[in-house]
Amino acid sequence: MHVAARRVTSCALSLLLAALFLYTGPAQADSATTAARAQQRAQAVTQVVLGIFSYARWPIEPSPLRLCLVGPTEYADDLIKGHVQESGRPLQVRRLLAEDTQVAQACDAIYIGKLDQGQRDQLFQRVRGHPVLSISEADDPCTVGSLFCLRVSDQQVAFDVNLDSVARSGVRIHPSVLQLSRRRAVQP
Amino acid sequence: MKPTRKRSVRPTLRSVLGRGHLSVALLAVGLAGISLTLLGVLALRVYANQNLQLIARSINYTVEAAVVFDDSAAANESLALIASTEEVAEAKVFNDEGELLAHWQRGDTDMLAQLEVQVATALLDEPVNLPILHQQQQVGHIELVGQGRSLLLFLLSGLAGILFCTILSALAAQYLSRRLLSDITRPLRGLASVAHAARRERSFDRRVPEAPIAELNELGNDFNALLDELEVWHSHLQSENQSLAHQASHDSLTGLPNRAFFEGRLSRSVRNAARQQDHLALLFLDSDRFKQINDTLGHAVGDEVLISVADRVRAQLREHDLVARLGGDEFAVLLTPLQSRKDAEHIAEKIVASMKLPVQLDSGRSIATSLSVGIAYYPDDGADPASLLNAADAAMYQAKRKRRGHWQVAQTERSANEIKNRS
Repeated sequence: MHVAARRVTSCALSLLLAALFLYTGPAQADSATTAARAQQRAQAVTQVVLGIFSYARWPIEPSPLRLCLVGPTEYADDLIKGHVQESGRPLQVRRLLAEDTQVAQACDAIYIGKLDQGQRDQLFQRVRGHPVLSISEADDPCTVGSLFCLRVSDQQVAFDVNLDSVARSGVRIHPSVLQLSRRRAVQP
Repeated sequence: MKPTRKRSVRPTLRSVLGRGHLSVALLAVGLAGISLTLLGVLALRVYANQNLQLIARSINYTVEAAVVFDDSAAANESLALIASTEEVAEAKVFNDEGELLAHWQRGDTDMLAQLEVQVATALLDEPVNLPILHQQQQVGHIELVGQGRSLLLFLLSGLAGILFCTILSALAAQYLSRRLLSDITRPLRGLASVAHAARRERSFDRRVPEAPIAELNELGNDFNALLDELEVWHSHLQSENQSLAHQASHDSLTGLPNRAFFEGRLSRSVRNAARQQDHLALLFLDSDRFKQINDTLGHAVGDEVLISVADRVRAQLREHDLVARLGGDEFAVLLTPLQSRKDAEHIAEKIVASMKLPVQLDSGRSIATSLSVGIAYYPDDGADPASLLNAADAAMYQAKRKRRGHWQVAQTERSANEIKNRS
């Protein structure tokens, strides 16, 4: 199953190179095509995140939906621009520090960037028992903590679902999304 | 006989009945079959379209998440899962930008599949285009082409049904027409054979049997009545003919054959005798006092005398001899076959003798009468009827001149020579 080969986004350069450019800052962006590819990935991430939101149901529907970006993120630039969900519900995006204690009250969803294990545990400790939809951007085995874990590649932005976390969080996720993620997990 | 000559070009009752039954049956089956198939196709078309819509909607729901997440692989899998088990020829999923996200097409390209495609394009509303909605927003759309297999199967089975029913009803029509034909033709054949017998053999005794069909039975009865009349008429005509023929050849007073009959018989007998070298004798008889009786005692008495004379002469003859009344009081007797002259003379003698007794009249009176007889022999006194008659007549007059109430043999040259030779 070489499904990945048929995925929409395409890029010749490696993920490592792209990450290097992003970390070194905008001053280093000497290649326009690389920027375009980064932009493409960011848009794909936005699409997936908004898609997840559209299939999620909170105990009390928040309006606007407050999304908090925690930690350094690679592909959240497009999200910050402030989208309106397809349902017409406005999306409020802001950055929070990992140490922020008000994360459970201030956010309906958190987009988690690069955090070390301690920060991560601390964050999940804070949102436990609250209906907060958490999405990890990268390098999360999705065994503990985050509801959704993104797998960003040039071809496709895929994701895993931690069913235990989904059950505990109190946020209901539409089964078709769960089906999509399970199917992806099987993929090589 | 015009009808018999034209029979070859005229259709038989059987073919007319058969054709009638067949056309009715075919028309009925054809109309019913075609209308049922048309209605069925129309109804099925509605259901097939609804079915296609339903399939489209279920595909829609299944691929919705995949379209939202722009997941081509998932969309393809869901699409194949549903489309392969349904009557779908081709299915496409497009995302919001109109890019093809997933595509599924049925693999078979045999003749049946091509036929299905043609039926589907002709009858279904294709392609079905349904937008994919997610949270009231269109995120893409699907295009669906139906397969039309059930429509094609229905059409084919409808055609097969029509064909089968057509064959069945043709056979049934054939059977029914044959039965009807036998019901009609049996009485008709009976009628025809009776008519034929009546026409050819003049046998009016046969009658048409009863028929199961009322009109034919009536026809048969009428025909029988006609035959009854014909029979009566025919027998009447026959008896009339016989009496007329008798009257034409016989004398009404004495009941004896008349001159015409006698002459015919004489010429036949002469011919036979000439062929077989036989002899025969011709006797010419004349009443001696008849004119006198007629004049003095009246025609009624004369008639009585004639009848009596005729009876007496007849009584003297042998089985094959013939006596005829030539007219007035003249009689002629033909003796055949004749063995010898003596026989003829003997008979002449007997005839003359039979007149000795007076004739008893109804009034009680009795009248004496006598006959003069002239005898002529074949071939001695004449070789043909006329000369024989002349010879006998002459002999009779000779007898009258010599001795009334006696017989006289003809005295012709030949007979005279013969007598000379004998003596």
